[in-house]
This record gives sequence, structure tokens and C-alpha cells, in this order.
Amino acid sequence: MRKMFALLSLLVIASMALSACGGTAPTAAPSTGDTTTEATEAPSTDTGTDAPAAAEFKSADPTTMVVANAEVATDTFDPALAYDTASAEIIQNTYETLVFYDGEATDKFVPMLAESWELSADGMTYTFKIRSGVKFHEGQDLTASDVAYSFQRGLLQGGTSSPQWLLAEPFFGVGVDDVSVVVDPEGTLYDDRELLSAFDSAAVVAACEKVKSAIVADDAAGTVTMTLAQPWGPFLPTIAQSWGAIMSQSWVVENGGWDGSCDTWQNFYGMASADNPFSGIINGTGPFTLEKFANGEEIILARNESYWAEPAKLERVILKQVPEWGTRFAMMQAGDADLAVVPAANRSQMDELVGIYQVFDLAANTYGPEQEVCGYDDSALAAAKFTACAAGETGNNGQFRLRIGRPALQMDVLLTNWNIATSEESPNPYIGSGALDGNGIPADFFSDVHIRKAFAYCFDFETLLNDVFSGEAVQSYQLPLAGMPGYFPDTAHYSYDPAQCEAEFKLADLDKDGIAAGDDPEGDVWTTGFRVQMGYNQGNATRQTIAEILAGSLASVNELFLVETLGLPWPAYLRAQRAKQLPLMTGGWLEDIHDPHNWYQPYTTGTYGGRQSLPDDVKAQFRDILERGVSETDPAARAEIYKEANTLYYDLAVGIPLNVTTSHGFSQRWVQGVVLNPIFPGNYFYTMYKD
Amino acid sequence: MTTYIIRRLLLVPVLLFGVTVLIFGMLQFLSPVERTALYVRDFPKNEKAIEGLIKRYGFDQPFYVQYWTWLVGKVDKTTGEREGGIVYGNFGYSRSASQPVAELIQRRFPNTLDLTIWAVAPMILIGIWLGVQAAVHHNGFIDQAARVFSIVGTSFPTFVFGLLMLLIFYANLHWFSPGRLSDEFNRVIESDAFRHYTTVLTIDALLNGRFDVFLDALRHMFLPILTLSYINWATFLRVTRGSMLETLRMEYVNTARAMGLPERDVIFKHAQPNAMLPVLTLAGFSIVGLLGGVVITETVFNFPGIGSAAARAATSLDVVAMLGFALFNGFILIVANLVVDVLYAFVDPRVRLS
Repeated sequence: MRKMFALLSLLVIASMALSACGGTAPTAAPSTGDTTTEATEAPSTDTGTDAPAAAEFKSADPTTMVVANAEVATDTFDPALAYDTASAEIIQNTYETLVFYDGEATDKFVPMLAESWELSADGMTYTFKIRSGVKFHEGQDLTASDVAYSFQRGLLQGGTSSPQWLLAEPFFGVGVDDVSVVVDPEGTLYDDRELLSAFDSAAVVAACEKVKSAIVADDAAGTVTMTLAQPWGPFLPTIAQSWGAIMSQSWVVENGGWDGSCDTWQNFYGMASADNPFSGIINGTGPFTLEKFANGEEIILARNESYWAEPAKLERVILKQVPEWGTRFAMMQAGDADLAVVPAANRSQMDELVGIYQVFDLAANTYGPEQEVCGYDDSALAAAKFTACAAGETGNNGQFRLRIGRPALQMDVLLTNWNIATSEESPNPYIGSGALDGNGIPADFFSDVHIRKAFAYCFDFETLLNDVFSGEAVQSYQLPLAGMPGYFPDTAHYSYDPAQCEAEFKLADLDKDGIAAGDDPEGDVWTTGFRVQMGYNQGNATRQTIAEILAGSLASVNELFLVETLGLPWPAYLRAQRAKQLPLMTGGWLEDIHDPHNWYQPYTTGTYGGRQSLPDDVKAQFRDILERGVSETDPAARAEIYKEANTLYYDLAVGIPLNVTTSHGFSQRWVQGVVLNPIFPGNYFYTMYKD
Repeated sequence: MTTYIIRRLLLVPVLLFGVTVLIFGMLQFLSPVERTALYVRDFPKNEKAIEGLIKRYGFDQPFYVQYWTWLVGKVDKTTGEREGGIVYGNFGYSRSASQPVAELIQRRFPNTLDLTIWAVAPMILIGIWLGVQAAVHHNGFIDQAARVFSIVGTSFPTFVFGLLMLLIFYANLHWFSPGRLSDEFNRVIESDAFRHYTTVLTIDALLNGRFDVFLDALRHMFLPILTLSYINWATFLRVTRGSMLETLRMEYVNTARAMGLPERDVIFKHAQPNAMLPVLTLAGFSIVGLLGGVVITETVFNFPGIGSAAARAATSLDVVAMLGFALFNGFILIVANLVVDVLYAFVDPRVRLS
């Protein structure tokens, strides 16, 4: 047993010896302060300065940026298929698009792989002059054919799980969201490669030829011409995202991808990430190459030394998957992580350690100046927690930098189903008795505009914003977001007003006897009451709370109004939505492009419009507006068109826009050159450095 | 003895069959559409495609057909290639990890094995040593102190103790980092010069003569090992102490003492070996537990083992991966059980005679 004790002692000594090999803590050193990226002709690592030189922290390894991400696996690195932000972040740093966002702007673009472009007078033909001297990571020269091939391949690969519907509409026409619809306009071939392959071969080849004739390369001239089905206002935003990234045709073919022939394209239609040879490999033209890919563990990007523009300042970027928040927190404290994903529930832990902060200025549409933190009040909300130092005052020397208050590009919308699916054979479990008897609702309950308006007036927005989001959200008045055509800050919107809610319920006429509920001697919704279930996907606390807030408000207006909240497993929730069975639901949308079409399309004529069972005449009204809006290329004219959509959406109370959350992002103080463009799927490391 | 081992070996396929039926059978509680939803990232837009998927995966087939397809896969009539089949090592594609489940297990398991190899000794030996000391000093100060020490350990939720260790030894003292290896050594092991003989990092580091890599790997495993040990010492202490006390009260121990044997020899040569039988069982199951992955410890210390991958699959409702992990764990459990049974037979003649 003495030997055992000796062994134990040895272990302890060894541990002490090992500890000598430990990492180093952040060290204090002079810094040049924070910077913001300036817009340039082409992307550049040049940065302007707008900050005081107050920070005194320095990273142990300024060449490598370490990001501690939460538990998110990338789905695929195939730009044509990737539709998740984790994959898109890697694609954006390794592949490149023809045009790219101009710094923090979501609606201005600079040349990237296209040196320049022209738009024809009819607004239907774009001609891109492709940049010369650009090489892919594996050495191939970028050609116009590569560009044309990349877009053709994406459109033909299609599939409703991919982002290709965003490109399909401009090339095939409004409402045509997949190449399979070009093959069979009846829409019977969606996502089914076998069916598509067995379809009329002439139609299959014709669809491919249609794509090829719309996107034509001229290698001698170094141009690519894209002919659209109609003018498309948001075409540049559409091709600036990851699905517009350019691949090397020869590399794709070498690795088992489509060979460019119209006889074989159907074999690649609707490809899933599991079968996709490009899910785990990358050969782009971007500023970083993929050095290591251990999905679910870490991804390492290395600087592309042969980059066509100035090489990135960072030599390497390590994106670590660290599922446990406590571990990420410890990594930030130790200075081993430069950036970390911080859950909303844990923000206060980081807030206490903030030394510098910037608050987003909504009027100027940019972050305000850096301010040293001199006071912190945990009981306050959002940016009001922090007290900026007065002139001459010394800050708290906190370790972290915080940027707070920028509205995100996603929104929750409360949706009602105007014609709830139910039948005698398959009764709908979410609408109780299915009749207006106080124990259920009829299937057409929400087809009465007064009912929809009553629900809108009965939603307590303040409670949602302050209690659920701790003041870090703003109410949405309309579907378009700030900075896009059709956004009007003073547009008509619903507010919490119990009296108006009651008045609208009394105006409803659900028994269709021509007498408003408030005056109906035979009784209507105001006197009978109702019982309905509002579903949410289990685990989504925000949606659950939205349902509970609505239930509470309605019950306070009339105790006969009963909304039951119901958590459903995700597949069941999705299935019930698609089967149009859910009477009430919350729809969430993270925009693909910063354009009103990307909001109105899903919420009226597209996905959510379908799940709401919007009547054909309502859809037709929106379709008319959307077709005019998307075909118009003048931003001012587009704004007026979408103003019509805003008015119609509000008047009909089609949905109730709820909230847009605001940013609350932390980094080490030495992280510089960050381009905070909210449309980016993640960090754009090209401009970033540590100092 | 040989008969006993053969009998145990013959039981293995039966147990494996039972495990596979049980695991696969649980999925049958879901409808074909719900099972389809678990296998695809997003539901296809048209109903026909859903039906196509159900047909393609055979979700509308009888249980035994689906089970057989799951076991041996299907041969594509046109290409002649076999799709799926767990007996061929094809456990399917993990949506949560975006890679085949077999690859995921292959990549993660060596890390878990590495952790197990280094955690076993301090966890078991110190636990036993504490138990023996407590029994020898029954109701004395050492006994009470050892019990308090271990009870505190077992009372700590693993994630609390783990995070506490991280806070002290990493965030504040910067001694031990989470993860598998420092970045500079990661680059070493990914270089062509470093050969992966066994895929177990510490062993490969030694075989490559890279003592720096070996030390760095140990440094990253120190806190997980400490956490695993501390929370397990109480169990080993309790079992060892109880068994030792029982053995020390036996007649043959008194006889040994009466014969004038030194107390040291009485305890360690005569009492302790006989007291180790229940500890052996416990040790076997502890090792199986470690090999199956220690979810919380791996998650807190960001250690890329099989436990954290399984936890991720579970939280993502990644049923294909969960089936793979369950099967793998079942296999480890059966094999470890067999090893413990055989060891038992060696240690205790009563077992093989029965």
C-alpha cells in the first residue's frame, strides 16, 4: 500500500509538472483601439479608425482567431445546397460570389468575382465581366464557364431543402420555386429524383436547356450573361449570398459532380447532403482555405496565400464546437476564445465583465462610438444596464467588448388559419368541438376579419418585449425590415388595446346572420365564447410564451375565451402546420436576402400563406403586388408598391408581426476589424484581426 | 472452466440479437410518417415524395422485414451495390454530425478509450485504497475522513464539480485546458510525420516518440480524470470498505492473526484478495460506463469522446445516430460482461464450479 501512496504522490507531482506547460493568460499591452471596415471597390482588409485607444488587452496569439461556437454541425459545404447558417459561414469565408455586400450595408454591393456588371434597358439581362487572375485554392484558374456552370448546376440540383428557390424565381418566373416545376408544371416531381428521371425525357432535357440558355458564358470575352424571366429588383442581393458562390467545374466533375450534360442532370436533382460529395470538401477562391474539418468538433480555416486581393490579416481561424456554456465562458475568461456564442440566459455573466460597449444607433443605422463602462446595473434592461464613463473618468477595465441593440433580420409573426382543415373522417384535434358552442371553434373562425383584428389588439406586445426578451427586442409594425424598400417607421400597426379587442369581437359575425356579435340576441362569439388550441414546437420557450401571453390577454377580455397552449414534438408540429390543421401558430423567418419580396412571398403567397389557408382572392391581391414589386428595379418605386402590401396586410390582419430581437454580441477587446453586417450568416474573417 | 467460458461465449450472439431487436423495436412505436420525419432533414414539399421516402426506406413493411433490412441492408438491383446493413458496419448517416455514424464512432471512440485507459487506475485504485484504509481504521479518524471526503464527492453533480474545476484550474490558474489537445500539437498529429498506429492519442504519441504531445494530451485529460475519479471514489470506497469489514471479521482472518502473522500480511495478503470480488464487478461496470462515453464530463471539458456525440445526437433527435450508439454501447456491455464473468471464474472457484 505504500507503493500505492507513492503512486498517488507521483500523480500529484506529475500534475503540477504538467501544469507548468499551461497556457498563458491575456496580457496587458498597448492597443490601437477598435476599427470599422470601410466600403471599398473590392473587399479589402483596410480599416478606418473611430475609436479611442483605451483598450489594454492583448491576445497571446494574434495570428489565430478562436471562436467558441455552441453545438451546431454544418450540413454541407456545397454552396448550391447549404441552407444553414453554420455551413454558410464557412462558405462565405472560403468561396466567393460575383458581388458582395458593401461593408455593413445590406443593400449596397461591391464587385467580388465580377469586376463589373451591366443591366440591360429592359431590366432582364445582366452581363457580368469576370475578374481575371483569380485562382481556386487547388490552383485552377477562374473562368467565365466556371461561373455559368455554378449557377446552372445549382438551379438543376434544386430541391426544396436547398436555397435554390431563391434563384429559381428570377430565372423561371414568379412562383416557380424549383426546376422540377419547369419539367412538370403540375408540381408532381418535387424532391423526387426517381420520378423526375422517369418523366418524359424531352421535358427533362428541355428544362436543362432552358437553364443553359438563360446563363451563358463567353470565355473569350470573360463575361457571363444571365437572362431572367422578368426584371428582378433583388437580383444582386440574391446572388450575393452563399448559394451564389462559384465553384470550379473541372474540380466538381473530378469529384463526382454533374458533368454539365443535359443528359445526366437528373441524376443530381434534389441531392441530399449525405450523398453530396462536396459536403465536406472546399475548393473556392475565397480568402481562407479549409485546413481541417472535424464536424461537431472543430473547423480550421487557413489563410489563402494566393488570394487575388490582399491576403487576410489572420493566419488561421479555429471554430471550436463547445456545447457547454460554462466551458465557453471559461475559455473567454482565460482568453483562449476570441469570440463566443452566449445564450440569452447567460448574458448577465458576461455583461458584468464588459469594459467597452457600443450601442446601435437606429437613426444612423450603425453602431455608435465605443464607450468605456463605468457603471453596471443588472436590474436595468438592455443597454441601460451600462453607464458610460464621463470625460476624464477611468473605466472598469472589464475584459470584454459588447455591441448591443442592432435589430436582427428575423421576425416572429402570429398567424391565424382562415380555413382550418378538418373532416368527419379526420376531425381536427386543435379546434375542440369544431363549432361555435363555447367548446371549440368552427373551421372558418379566422375568416372573419374582426376576429383576426381582435386577436391582434389583444396581444400584449410590451410584456413580450420586456419580460420575454428583457427589453432586447422591438415590436415589428410590418413585414419589411428597416433598410429595405417598403419599410416605413410610422406605418399603421396594432397595439395592445383590450377595449378595441372587445369592440372587434363584438363586431364579428361568426354565425353569419348579418348581426354583429355584440348585438346578436341569439348569441355569437361574444356570448358563447370559444376554446382553441395554439400549438408550438416543444422546447421553443419563446413560442410557448407568445401563446401564453395571448391566452392570458384574451381571458382577461372575456372569461369565455379559452386558448390552450400545446407543445408538440417538432415533426408533429410541422406536419400539423403543413396539413393546415393548426388554427393558431407562430411563424419565424430568418431572411435570405434583405428585400421585402423575401418576406412577403413566404407570408402571403408562399409557405406561410399556404399554412394559413389564405383564400385565392387574397393571394391573388398579394401576388399582383409582389409581381409588380419584384419586377421593379427602382427602389423608390418599389417602396411605394410594398407600401400597398403593408396596408393590405394590416387591413386584413393577415398576420400579426410581433418582434425583432436586437443584437447583444461579445468579443475580447483585442478583436478588431469586425464587419457587423446582420445579413452575414456568421463572422466574415477576412477583415478581422487581433490587436 | 473451458465449458463455462464456451457457455458464456455462446450466449453472446443471443444477447446481441436481443439488444438489436429491443433497440429497433422501440422505433416501431412511431408511425411510418413520423419515422420518415426522423430520417430526413426537412419534409419534402409534396405528399408523393413522402410516400416515396416511406417506400424507399421500407417503413411500410412488416417489422421483421424492416428489421432484416436494417441488419443486412438492401442490394440495389441496377448497380448491385449494397445500401445499409449494420452487420456490414453501415449504421446510417447522422444528421446531427453530418457524417456516417460508423465514421463518427470510429473517430470518437479512440478518444473515449484513451480517457478510460488513464482514468481507470486513479478511479479504481485510489477508491479501493480509500476503502481499505477506512475498513482497517474502522470508525477511526481516517475512516470518518475518507467517508466525508467521498460523500462530498458523490454529492457533487458532475457538471458542477467539472465546472468548478474548470473555473479554478483553467479560467483562473490557466493550468489545464479543456479540449483534446493544444492547437500547436494538433498540427503535429495532423502532419504526415505523425503516424497513427492505434488511433489512441497518448499511445500513438509515445510510439512516435513525441513526449511533448503525450504530455499535452495528458494535461488535457487531467481534469476529466480528476472529475471522474472523485465522483466515483465514494462508490468504490463504500463497496471496498463493506467487503473488507466483512472479510476482516471472518474466522480465517482471526486464525491468521492468532498464528502471529504481521497485521500487514493479514490485511493485504489474506483479507484484501477475498474482499475484492464485489469490487471486481463494480470495476467492470465502471469501465463499461467509461467506454460507453461519459456524457457530462466529456461535454463540460469539451472532450471529443463518444459520450458527447451521443448526447448531441439525442438532443437533436438524431435517431439514426442514437441507434448506432445504443448498439455500440450494447456490444461493449456484452463484451465487458463476458470479460468480467471470465475473470470472476478465475478469481472465484465457486463461480466456475457452479
